[in-house]
Amino acid sequence: MSRSRLFALGLVILLSALALFGRRGEEPGEFRRARVLMGTVVEVTLLDGGANVDAEAAMAAAFSAMAEVEARMSAHRDDSETARLNAAAGPLEVSAATADLLALGLRVAAASGGAFDLTLGRLKTLWGFAGDAPRVPDDMAITAALQGIGPESLRLEGRRVTKREAVLHVDLGAIAKGYAVDRAIAALQAAGIRHASVNAGGDLRLLGDYGGRPWRIGIQHPRNPEAVLATLELADAAVVTSGDYERFFEIDGVRYHHILDPHDGRPADACQSVTVVAASAAEADALATAAFVLGPEAGRRLVEAWGGLALVVAADGTVSLSEALKERVRWP
Amino acid sequence: MTSSAVDPQVLAAARRRTFLALFTALAVALHTLEYLLPAPAPWFRLGFANILTLAALFLYGPRAAWGVTLGRVLLGSLVVGTLFSPGFFLSLAGGTAATAVMTAAYRLGGRRIGPVGVSALGAVGHALGQLALAYLLLVRHPGLWQLLPAFLLFALGAGLANGFAASWLLDLLRGHPAFRGEQEE
Amino acid sequence: MKALWARTTGLDRLIVAVLLLGILASFFLLGARPQGERVLVERGGRLLFSAPLAENRVVDLEGPLGITRLEIRDGQVRILASPCPTKACIGMGAIACAGEMLACVPNELLVRIEGAGKGAAHDLLSR
Repeated sequence: MSRSRLFALGLVILLSALALFGRRGEEPGEFRRARVLMGTVVEVTLLDGGANVDAEAAMAAAFSAMAEVEARMSAHRDDSETARLNAAAGPLEVSAATADLLALGLRVAAASGGAFDLTLGRLKTLWGFAGDAPRVPDDMAITAALQGIGPESLRLEGRRVTKREAVLHVDLGAIAKGYAVDRAIAALQAAGIRHASVNAGGDLRLLGDYGGRPWRIGIQHPRNPEAVLATLELADAAVVTSGDYERFFEIDGVRYHHILDPHDGRPADACQSVTVVAASAAEADALATAAFVLGPEAGRRLVEAWGGLALVVAADGTVSLSEALKERVRWP
Repeated sequence: MTSSAVDPQVLAAARRRTFLALFTALAVALHTLEYLLPAPAPWFRLGFANILTLAALFLYGPRAAWGVTLGRVLLGSLVVGTLFSPGFFLSLAGGTAATAVMTAAYRLGGRRIGPVGVSALGAVGHALGQLALAYLLLVRHPGLWQLLPAFLLFALGAGLANGFAASWLLDLLRGHPAFRGEQEE
Repeated sequence: MKALWARTTGLDRLIVAVLLLGILASFFLLGARPQGERVLVERGGRLLFSAPLAENRVVDLEGPLGITRLEIRDGQVRILASPCPTKACIGMGAIACAGEMLACVPNELLVRIEGAGKGAAHDLLSR
């Protein structure tokens, strides 16, 4: 009898061990969904949160918040506020969200001495980056498209926007994606999520940390598509990279990319890429664009004066970064 | 108990029903326990419940084996909560393929084949059945078949284990007083 | 306990030997290709197509609107042509790293790269 009992005991122990071992094979929960929005693939990742959180509902809320921003601010839609603003000759009343965003954009425009500009709509259309027939415009066309732009090009009084010149077209492309990411994060927070990330084609924001350790954010190497330049360890921050490799076309061996310098209406050539770490994605988005145009020295100063951190790859490939970022960087 | 008054045929039928019910219950238990074990891939299982199908096959024949398998897949999925989920269909495909192969091998092999051989063939059938269903229903991806050799190896191992276990179980049962006088088919 | 060997018949052993040989053969025929990065194309959450990133190819993918042409060249993936109205997918440019994605929403196609260990270094990529 005791031999049987011993055998039974051994079996129970074995089964318990297997049960425990079997469970451990499961991954720490990463719940990801991807959707196409704002002309790129947006991916929201939720980490194993509290049990009383409805992940599906939170996910849906995040995506719908972003879709709402797109509907309101896309230059490609006839019924968006952007389109209405472009068509307006006099003052226009916009939504509180749009007004806030314009206010932020104008502050960055002023702080950067015009390196960032919200009214490059005509210039962008001229170059045609958004379509399938981009081209290099002639000087006269560029000069005409630059008329009226600058930090003073829009006057904002409460929710009323007035363009300095009626022909001005607003382009929120350099800031709206970041803003959408911020709205998505807000939606996730409202749903009770505490650890998540929203990544809109490389413009991303982190909520909380990665379950006990910081998130590891890789920075795309500007010249080697398969390589990572560096990895940043961050939590509760937004990271946006502006690079000359994202959207460009080549004619006669010369590369023309989509980050235009408002001072001469041509692609800025001081940097290969700029990565900005800031409190919100909208800020990071605008600052990255501004810093890219300003160049490594002035760009970093701008970002740091704003309270953010920057990592810049200059046109010649030299990398420079903010002091405070040095302890958070891992080089490959 | 003066069982001498009971018709031996009725007794045998009752015994068969009872044991098949027991086998099915044990198969469900094993099916459920398998979910605690690490699996070669999500939803795929090693098929230890086939031990009972084997026992039913060798004691009571092919029809009994089918009964135990189908009963186990249905009840097992209810217990684990995977009814009509991908896991259920994989179980069904694996179990059906395994049982089909095993009953065929049993019929063709007769006295020359034992539980180990039948089980080895059944296990291979089990793995092929699961992969085929996964391919058709879940992942239409030729790369899936790259998993086949590894799966088959796992399956063969499990098949051998099942075969030995079934052989031992059959010895135990046949030696038990309840089975004295039992005729095998 | 009867010895394991005694529990098997001659036919049993033959069967097991044949199966084992067959399985080992299948390893050589089908198996063990090194992982490498793969390009995956999904529609409606189901995998439609898969290929190694390292092999150059042009593939036509079928969607409700028609054929979207995908090119894998020099470790990069881009959409060459698509029957969608805005061609936003072509505008997404090229992807080359694990975790990156392209999509043609009107034609219901999602293209992504799944990697070998690349993801281990970082959780997300800023570009």
